[in-house]
Amino acid sequence: MRMMSLYKDRNTIVHKIDPLNKILYILASILITMLISDFKVLILTLVVSLLLLLLGKVIKNVFPIISFSLIVLVTIVIIQGLFNPNNKTPLVNIGQFIFYKEGIIYSFLLILRVLNILCAFSLLILTTKPSDLIENLVRRGLSPKLGYVLASVLQIIPQMLSTMDTILDAQRSRGLETEGKLIKRVKAFIPLIGPAVMNSLISTRERAMALEMRGFNSNIKKTFLNEHDETSFDKLIRYLLIALIIFTIVWRLVWLK
Amino acid sequence: MSKKLWSFKFSTAALVLIPAAVGINYIGKLFAGLLKLPLWLDSIGTMLASMLAGPIIGALSGAINNIIYGLTMDPISFVYAITSIAIGITVGVLMFKGLIKNVYLAILSGIIVALVAAVVSTPINIAFWGGQTGNIWGDALFASLMAKKFPMWLASFLDEFVVDLPDKVASLVISFLIYKGLPKSLINLYSSDDEIEKL
Repeated sequence: MRMMSLYKDRNTIVHKIDPLNKILYILASILITMLISDFKVLILTLVVSLLLLLLGKVIKNVFPIISFSLIVLVTIVIIQGLFNPNNKTPLVNIGQFIFYKEGIIYSFLLILRVLNILCAFSLLILTTKPSDLIENLVRRGLSPKLGYVLASVLQIIPQMLSTMDTILDAQRSRGLETEGKLIKRVKAFIPLIGPAVMNSLISTRERAMALEMRGFNSNIKKTFLNEHDETSFDKLIRYLLIALIIFTIVWRLVWLK
Repeated sequence: MSKKLWSFKFSTAALVLIPAAVGINYIGKLFAGLLKLPLWLDSIGTMLASMLAGPIIGALSGAINNIIYGLTMDPISFVYAITSIAIGITVGVLMFKGLIKNVYLAILSGIIVALVAAVVSTPINIAFWGGQTGNIWGDALFASLMAKKFPMWLASFLDEFVVDLPDKVASLVISFLIYKGLPKSLINLYSSDDEIEKL
């Protein structure tokens, strides 16, 4: 079964790190970037994330993820540079527009924050197979039913994509117009989404029956397909990350005074 | 029915509705893109799940929708899971209180959902993007309001609201029309009444 994911299969040490540690890493970098607005700290965490991505041999795959937010990041510089309420010191004039220093600095702060968070998430997404992540979370106490729901989304979407092509072809062959004026295109939406919804709802009925036949609702403790032992290396990383999170919060509290 | 509105005991059918809802969200967004509609229409599945199985399943669908988007496309969508949860809860409550009965009430409910979504999204937008939404029209409004020295939270809220209003109203009306067209046997499948729980 084809699965949707951004996971890149490489054999590196980053890929072998426990997914929970990567989630803790995301938490730590969000906390650091949100609580501490010091450029040196933000650049340092960004560099650490980039080095880890480099170590995981996935650094090239980060750019498509960043490009999702690229336009907003560019407009942030323009809007904050022109209109930030704290603007006082003019920096450059372009035509009749004046860009101010305060707004530009603020926009760089925002951009660094977003890049930090994107890179931290990328580390999890690019180096962890979604099914491994879900299995790991179930092992640590996530309800197995929710685990099933998460895993099945990844399988259902590719299935629904092929249904979508079928519906589109069928409705077009019946003369449904999918191009032209806006009102025509709006009207075409219901005949397209309607069958897709019906189709998926009817298949949920079959799926529910199939699951109940296999004891989905039984309360007996579930076992796992793969063996899993936590290495001492993973434990070490986890304690370090927890210490880092506590340190950040304490630093912020002290620093505020 | 309203007694079981907040029940955390789900039937298997209600649970498998969640992946279907996420899929419908995804397909809705793709069809809207294919038809070049100026809307996202990416919350139809969440809304339908709320209508069929109540606010908790709706909220779960919303959350899982954004988690899966975050894992497979754009990590930023993780943080907007809160907005999707709010949409699921609002639609579920409105539906089960019997407030979405016809198309006019669906439009009115769409406005309420858009308000809730904008209120929840605004703090996120301010924290991450300095108040912007990433939508060209909304951000143009944001820029002009900022130029007129409006307070940032108000400009940001209006930025989000003008984008959300047409989208959420259209999504809710479409969801309602689809819901009305569903056969009874399918609608009964997801309600958490005990007689139907065992398939």
